[in-house]
Amino acid sequence: MRILVIEDDLDAAAFLVKGLNESGHIVDHAADGHDGLHLAENNRYDVMVVDRMLPGIDGLSIVRKLRDSEVDTPALILSALGEVDDRVEGLAAGGDDYLPKPYALAELMARLEALARRARPEQAATQLQVGDLQMDRLKRKVTRAGQDILLQPREFRLLEYLMRHAGQVVTRTMLLENVWDFHFDPQTNVVDVHISRLRSKIDKEFAHPLLHTVRGSGYRLDEHG
Amino acid sequence: MPRLLRTTAFRLSLLYAAVFSLIASAALGFVFWSTISHIDEQIDARLRLETDVLMQLFRSRELPGLLETIQTRNRADNAGTFVYLLSGPDRDLLAGPLTSWPTDLDASRTYATFTREQLFEVQPRSKGHDELIRVLVTQLPGGYRMLVGHSVEDAKRLQSHTLTIVAVAIAGIVGFALLGGALMGWDVLRRIDAVNRAAGEIVHGDLTRRLPISRRNDEFDALALRLNIMLERIEKLLVGMRQVTDHVAHDLRKPLNRLRSRLEVTLLEARNEDEYREVMEDAIADADDLIGTFNALLSIAQMEADVDRDGRTQFSASALCEDLAELYAAAAEDKHITFRSDIQSAITLNGVRGLVAQAFSNLLDNALKYAPTDGTIEFALRQDNDGAVVATVADNGPGIAAEDRERVLERFVRLEAARSTPGNGLGLSLVKAVTGLHGAQLVLRDNHPGLYVEVRFPNNLPRLTVSPA
Repeated sequence: MRILVIEDDLDAAAFLVKGLNESGHIVDHAADGHDGLHLAENNRYDVMVVDRMLPGIDGLSIVRKLRDSEVDTPALILSALGEVDDRVEGLAAGGDDYLPKPYALAELMARLEALARRARPEQAATQLQVGDLQMDRLKRKVTRAGQDILLQPREFRLLEYLMRHAGQVVTRTMLLENVWDFHFDPQTNVVDVHISRLRSKIDKEFAHPLLHTVRGSGYRLDEHG
Repeated sequence: MPRLLRTTAFRLSLLYAAVFSLIASAALGFVFWSTISHIDEQIDARLRLETDVLMQLFRSRELPGLLETIQTRNRADNAGTFVYLLSGPDRDLLAGPLTSWPTDLDASRTYATFTREQLFEVQPRSKGHDELIRVLVTQLPGGYRMLVGHSVEDAKRLQSHTLTIVAVAIAGIVGFALLGGALMGWDVLRRIDAVNRAAGEIVHGDLTRRLPISRRNDEFDALALRLNIMLERIEKLLVGMRQVTDHVAHDLRKPLNRLRSRLEVTLLEARNEDEYREVMEDAIADADDLIGTFNALLSIAQMEADVDRDGRTQFSASALCEDLAELYAAAAEDKHITFRSDIQSAITLNGVRGLVAQAFSNLLDNALKYAPTDGTIEFALRQDNDGAVVATVADNGPGIAAEDRERVLERFVRLEAARSTPGNGLGLSLVKAVTGLHGAQLVLRDNHPGLYVEVRFPNNLPRLTVSPA
């Protein structure tokens, strides 16, 4: 992916750019709002990371300006303010996701992948498929290798989210946000339990597992281990 | 004194005094002027009347009668109030105290005013030489001329007397107005000084100081009362902030230290890559815990400061609790804990959904942590007849001893029994902060055995900003 990072904290930016590079992404970095806006307007990026507080133009204004000039590159807004409202404000300005600092690099990368994927138009597909696992979103039917799998409504949504982000790492926080609409981190392993239930339904009776645990990050639904 | 002159109260009273004095002076001036002109008119009327009487006499008793009367009157009127003169056609004086008719009196039926020395031959500079005499000169048939005069000294005296009274009155009014203004200014200044002194002490760090309140219950007291409430709040917030800082310093030092020594010890021993990786993952987990603690502390502090934010909405508490129940039921089942939920439908709450969700989730986390294997967790939501929305979480774990129930709501308080379980000791503090922000009550009770937590949202939730988000 081509990623634009607009971040004025040079240490944090260097760390982020290195991390993203090592994951095979091409990264441009801008250290202030004006440069960032200029780069975003004149290049095509798959996704961008925008710090909220920036010299020159602040992060929210950059996103707003880009949206006004119909640049719809997905934007993840980073902020040192972690309050509920700040999140709402960030999304209202045209941001696509919001992550409070300090963040885990794994969390950030997982979210960037998800954002880039979302920007592609295959969204509306009613049929989702990962390996021999198939989902019909209209009939709300899931089969694996032709066998019907009965899922609870929440399990269905969980699987749907994982299938849409097949091949990507999905963190617990992302699942909690997108499947349950809860924006906090529970102290107990509530999400893991739901994953393990889902796993028992889609993987247990099959030789080849699809739902993988990514240590230290989250989960990944993938045909290839 | 110069400070007094600069007070608003004094300046205002001064302005009022000036305006009031001006009006009073104008009124008194008018009274004075009309009195004086009335007196003048009266003198003229008396002269006219006297002249008319003498003319009547002249007509009925001819010249001798008039002469006799004038001479009699001049003699009788020794006090000199009235003077009478009569001259013949060739200006020879026929009657009167003078030897000859004053040369400059020609006109007829005219009023004029003279000084005594202009009419009579008196010693210059002698007493009464400048006494004013008002005269009426009348032309009589046959070339005779008659003068009737009257002293205006009495009127003069009355005039100057009135003037004195008016001047004294105006001076009095201005004086009292100034005095009143000064008193008022001084009173206001005194009270503001008291407030100033108190404010100064507060600025210098004595946060327990309050503004003085008198028993008058006036606008100053109302203001002072308001400010005192504000100071109370500030003091409370500062004390709270200080506590947070103390707790942060105290409780974060331990995990930070642990993290540090973990890394230090790792460096001392030669290890292979896998071992390093393991230590680093542990270190990251430690850091994550620290971040979580920081975040929790921050949001508690913000909520306790009651920084009112947007984000309050009307949301379905029933749906929220159903979702939470569903989320936690699986985890409970996994631990062989029976999870029962009894959630009434169609209950709405006005508040910050995310925070309420966080609070309930903390309670459920706790229940999950402390309920024994094969234990029970009960999660319920109901609306009472009085409209209050009540959420309860009960477990049959070890519970909390009655004497500790207040204490566990404080930050970082972890009971001995909880030392072995994971957690930062902020869960219940956060619940308390959320309930506080929503004006809800948080009650911990014994569940015989276990802990029973009740959160009661009163019906009349303050409807603050409702954002469309």
